[in-house]
Amino acid sequence: MDNALRIKGTRSQVVEICVNDEWHEVSVRPRHMLVEVLREMIGLTGTKDGCEQGACGACTVLIEGAPALSCMTLAVDCEGKHVRTVEGLAPDGRVSPIQQAFLDQGAVQCGFCTPGMLMSITSLLERNPRPTVPEIKKALDGNLCRCTGYNAIVDAVLQASGQGVEPLMK
Amino acid sequence: MDRLSYVGKSMRRRDGPDKVTGRAAYSQDVKLPGTLVGRILRSPHPHARIVRIDTSRASQLPGVKAVITVDDTKGIKHGFVETPRYPPDQEVLARERVRFVGEEIAAVAAVDQVTAQRAIDLIEVEYEILPAVFDPFEAMKPGAPEVHPVLPKIRSETPLPNIAGRTATGWGDVEAGFAQSDYVREDRFESHLRTHGYLEPQVTLAHWEHDKLNVWTSSMGTFIKRAKLAKVLDLPFAAVRIHKTYVGGTFGGKIDLYSHEYCAARLSMITARPVRIVATREEIFSAYRHGQPLVMEIKTGVRKDGTIVCQQVRAINNAGAFRGSGVVVIFLAWGFTMLPYRIPNLAYEGLSVYTNYPVRAPQRGHGCPQIRFAIESQLDRIAEDLGIDPVTIRLRNARKPWEALPNGDNVHEAGLLECIELAARKSDFLAKHGRARQAKSTIRRGIGMGVSSYFGGSLIYPNGSGVIVKMADDGSATVLTGAIDVGQGAETVIAQIVAEELYLPIEDVRIVSSDTDTTPQDIGAWISGMTYVTGNAARQAASNARDKLLQLAAEKLGCAIDELEVRDKVVRRRGEPGKQITYREIIAHSVATRRGDTVIGEGFWRTMRDEPTHPSLATTKGRWSENYAFSCQVAEVEVDTETGEARVLKAWTVHDCGFAVNPALVKGQVDGQVSMALGHAFLEELITKDGYTLNPTWLDYRMPTIHEMAHSQDDEIVTEEYTVGKSFRVKEVGEGLVSGVLAAIANAVYDATGVRMHSTPFTPEKILKGLRQLERKERLGRAAVDIQEEADEQATALPG
Repeated sequence: MDNALRIKGTRSQVVEICVNDEWHEVSVRPRHMLVEVLREMIGLTGTKDGCEQGACGACTVLIEGAPALSCMTLAVDCEGKHVRTVEGLAPDGRVSPIQQAFLDQGAVQCGFCTPGMLMSITSLLERNPRPTVPEIKKALDGNLCRCTGYNAIVDAVLQASGQGVEPLMK
Repeated sequence: MDRLSYVGKSMRRRDGPDKVTGRAAYSQDVKLPGTLVGRILRSPHPHARIVRIDTSRASQLPGVKAVITVDDTKGIKHGFVETPRYPPDQEVLARERVRFVGEEIAAVAAVDQVTAQRAIDLIEVEYEILPAVFDPFEAMKPGAPEVHPVLPKIRSETPLPNIAGRTATGWGDVEAGFAQSDYVREDRFESHLRTHGYLEPQVTLAHWEHDKLNVWTSSMGTFIKRAKLAKVLDLPFAAVRIHKTYVGGTFGGKIDLYSHEYCAARLSMITARPVRIVATREEIFSAYRHGQPLVMEIKTGVRKDGTIVCQQVRAINNAGAFRGSGVVVIFLAWGFTMLPYRIPNLAYEGLSVYTNYPVRAPQRGHGCPQIRFAIESQLDRIAEDLGIDPVTIRLRNARKPWEALPNGDNVHEAGLLECIELAARKSDFLAKHGRARQAKSTIRRGIGMGVSSYFGGSLIYPNGSGVIVKMADDGSATVLTGAIDVGQGAETVIAQIVAEELYLPIEDVRIVSSDTDTTPQDIGAWISGMTYVTGNAARQAASNARDKLLQLAAEKLGCAIDELEVRDKVVRRRGEPGKQITYREIIAHSVATRRGDTVIGEGFWRTMRDEPTHPSLATTKGRWSENYAFSCQVAEVEVDTETGEARVLKAWTVHDCGFAVNPALVKGQVDGQVSMALGHAFLEELITKDGYTLNPTWLDYRMPTIHEMAHSQDDEIVTEEYTVGKSFRVKEVGEGLVSGVLAAIANAVYDATGVRMHSTPFTPEKILKGLRQLERKERLGRAAVDIQEEADEQATALPG
């Protein structure tokens, strides 16, 4: 609801989105982005809102399995679509191999880029279970990380994909 | 009991599971019912008089709950530094004048985002444009536009206008030193404007309820934030509670008080509803505090063998429109000059100059990357001119263990010599150095070295840290600490120390942190001393609880404490099987026989316990720190001489941080700083024109992506150790290591090309320009060239 614009009579519309295998019905205006729907309306705050400029990748989610910037995706365009967020990676409370590898390699510091990173990597590993280092870098070049210097993140992907990298931390 | 189980081990992060599952609540994730949206009206001009503000149309807009201007404040000023010499100089909202683009003028609270922005647009402000000044050298000329009048004390030291602060210090006799020197070089270097680039935007949620202000804000220390916020609101500390949140990166940019924090709080007090203000990324880039650009003029005299005889250093800081941390960076630039090498005679002057730019904050390293880039670049040049290699000249001047520093501190077991030797060996430095320019290829490799040293903790409010360890009756422990984990791993390190001291499985240690109402005061994550200060407080609290447990156990088992051994929460009498008691039983015994004592340990720590306060920012007198970290870093670069593009292939870091409580976390700090140095060297630059930021987005402000990162290798020189029950000494690791890499990259670019960089960033344009000049000069028989900023070549000499 936009109180200041109410008199202009703009209307919201109902959109059905399936997030992490649960269908949600939300009322959105044309300007609403998917990140607002996830965070503000559905209450899944694991997806981070870093720049709203489509530049940092912290808001990356999977739409029909492909990585997308939820700050640049109109909610109305998600009608009927399947969206996966970081909350969907450990549905039964057990972390996935890539989440575990992030913990083992020190690939997390402040953690703000982590949900977006994890979604980009999840999509990569689903398409390509044993990616090379250049393929990993290509898949993650839209995700900024200011803390780790990225090397630990590459190691985490190599560990999770069983390419001979052992856990650094215990 | 002496073998360490947790300290010195690469334990996984305690906050890791929350962070990889999306459960971690950052300030932007905290929700309260009925929250209003706050927005801020910012100045569109770099310098203007506010003739009139009319908020009536905004206030009348349906959905708007409050509008505030400076007239709704108490008029209390704040500053990063608040001392008699440097009294606070900034109000939370502009009064009568705006001094930079983006300065906060008014704020609104409304029921939704669109209404709040509409209200901002309805605030009418009439401005009278004033002349503005952006260059510190222009600002110091007589007749320059006055950003602020110079305070009388500082005016008695210098006649220049717009001086926000001045540091002057030195020792020995510099003039005599230059006269005695075999070789003297004078150079000018410049480090440009960069920003922190924390991924989590600045967000504050404030809720005034039952005469209490509850705040969730992204910070680097909740206790200093509370002090500053309470002061400008004119509230007692007891009325302000800063809650714990996860923090999404800081790097210096979230330490100061920000106007949006005040505005969220004040708007909540007026509306009696929660108010959230989120800074957009564009606002952060164009109006928030950035790092410190410095101009450094360095004159050095040496003997033939490269031994430094004397140094004359002047650092000029473009402080922006308020004092910010400008008067600190000119103090620190002296400190980071003084630390790694012996300088028998020094004359230092630092000037912080007001201009019509946004205010400056500390940024990772706070002066160290800048000044080490300058000094290490010049030192390489001196070495080359004298025919000495870069390793030898550094070994010749590097401080040895137990040297007294000119400020009265001591370097203790300084491992600098070993750092230099090991870095040279690991990188095969001397075999690679000086080879590139013989190559015929257009792709040239070069190698460079940089040295730095960094303090670990100093005496600035809150000065000390307390920690409480309370035992639960099942024998596990809860740690109450004010420490804030901004990503560096504070909670993990504290848990390791407590588990070690209490002989507890680390899973039995719970951390409650950084909430100002429930945890003890803490120095915060911004003075490079948390593992030392808060870590020792945690050690003391845990060993205090352990001593109580062992005393009770000794009573029950009928023996002396030194006959006891502990494993997995069971205390045994050594050599007598069956004589044992569990922590659970001990605590039950304590409650039963000690008037309900549930066993609580307390600890506190303060660095330089006999020192009253921090050193003088004006004269540098007084002790600065009791722990200094030392490092030597090497970078290998590849330069394309056809395009001028350069990249770092590998960085070696060898550092003396005492010992690593958690080696993997230390490696994380090293890698992060290598990445940040790459950004400083090649990529990042806030481009401004007439005070406006032209690239307020990460698409145009280029932070290192995964493609730019280099291979990074680190080695620790261990000079200290950890013993259960004893205080320990660890040194800084989280910010100084940007410096040596940056300097090493500059020296490596020179090694590859013969082009000496005098200003950051080392862009393809500058490298190509240098290569072209070099081609011309080579015809004249010269092999090296110096590249200054275009503007530098025209810069007029500093008056006075």
